[in-house]
Amino acid sequence: MDTPSGSHPRPAERGVVISRGTRVYLRTMTPQDLDHLSTWVDDPFLERMVGSEFMHAYKHVWDKAPAFYEAILTDPTQVALVVEAYQGWTKPVGVVRLFNIHLLEGYAFLETIIADLRAMKRGFGIEAGKLISYYGVDVLGLRRLEAKVYEYNVLSMNSLRRNGFRQEGILRQAGFDGERYWDLMIFGILRDEIEAVRRRDKVYLPLDPSEGNGREPT
Amino acid sequence: METADRQTSPGGRALDGVARVRLWGLLTAATASQARARVQRALDQGHAHVLVDLQGVTRIDAVGIAVLLDARRLLQARTGGTLVLCANRIVCRALRTTRTIAAFGLTAGTGM
Repeated sequence: MDTPSGSHPRPAERGVVISRGTRVYLRTMTPQDLDHLSTWVDDPFLERMVGSEFMHAYKHVWDKAPAFYEAILTDPTQVALVVEAYQGWTKPVGVVRLFNIHLLEGYAFLETIIADLRAMKRGFGIEAGKLISYYGVDVLGLRRLEAKVYEYNVLSMNSLRRNGFRQEGILRQAGFDGERYWDLMIFGILRDEIEAVRRRDKVYLPLDPSEGNGREPT
Repeated sequence: METADRQTSPGGRALDGVARVRLWGLLTAATASQARARVQRALDQGHAHVLVDLQGVTRIDAVGIAVLLDARRLLQARTGGTLVLCANRIVCRALRTTRTIAAFGLTAGTGM
């Protein structure tokens, strides 16, 4: 692995840990993660609940080709991280990403995918969303995050609300699941609100510079 | 590459009042903390102008660009100076894609 620091990071095949929580941690993607992604994209439940363009592109545009990995890593408008749970989990439980990142304007979109059904309703998605929100503020300098949720995905809406997101509007009948049209709920959060969540959850300390690439405060 | 860099640019060197720092290889979420530290050392030299040589960068993502934007912001806040990038095609393409290219001064590199 070639690195601008001249230091020796952990092996690329394991990814680099970006942020740690109490239940899950986030790491960079590796080529081996495509094996998991390949399984997840064939899950009709996930497709209906998330409607992820990321997963759709891997399955239908890239035809599950290995080159998708390189395409993701060289796309400067998104950061996709793998969600790993700490105890008793031998495989990644999902993916969380910031996409349509507008660095100068300071906003991006959030997508959290907990793909392993056994991992749902354990707070993993809430924590993964929280960690990448902090990462967006601390490292990317974002001041606003936005997320869209199908009206029937109550679990995701509750997760966003738990993380301080507010519902900002409804895109009427903007989603189609193959049978009928559904409303899309728009959620948003501003930097101050993210910081309020961080203060509330004191367990989430500022990112360790050696792992989190934290910004210098001004 | 690591040895060569240490011989020529130990974390950034001053040239006629310009601090120079060279980053190469991956400039991504996986390596950004090291890159940020290198740029920080160059900024800490107190020069008004900093040249970041990115000609050896093989991959850059949003986090890598954020490192450069952050350095530019800090430099402007501290000294009112400028951050100039010497970029290759890979970096230029990423800066154009993210519409951040106008935020930097650019000097001739292989991608110009």
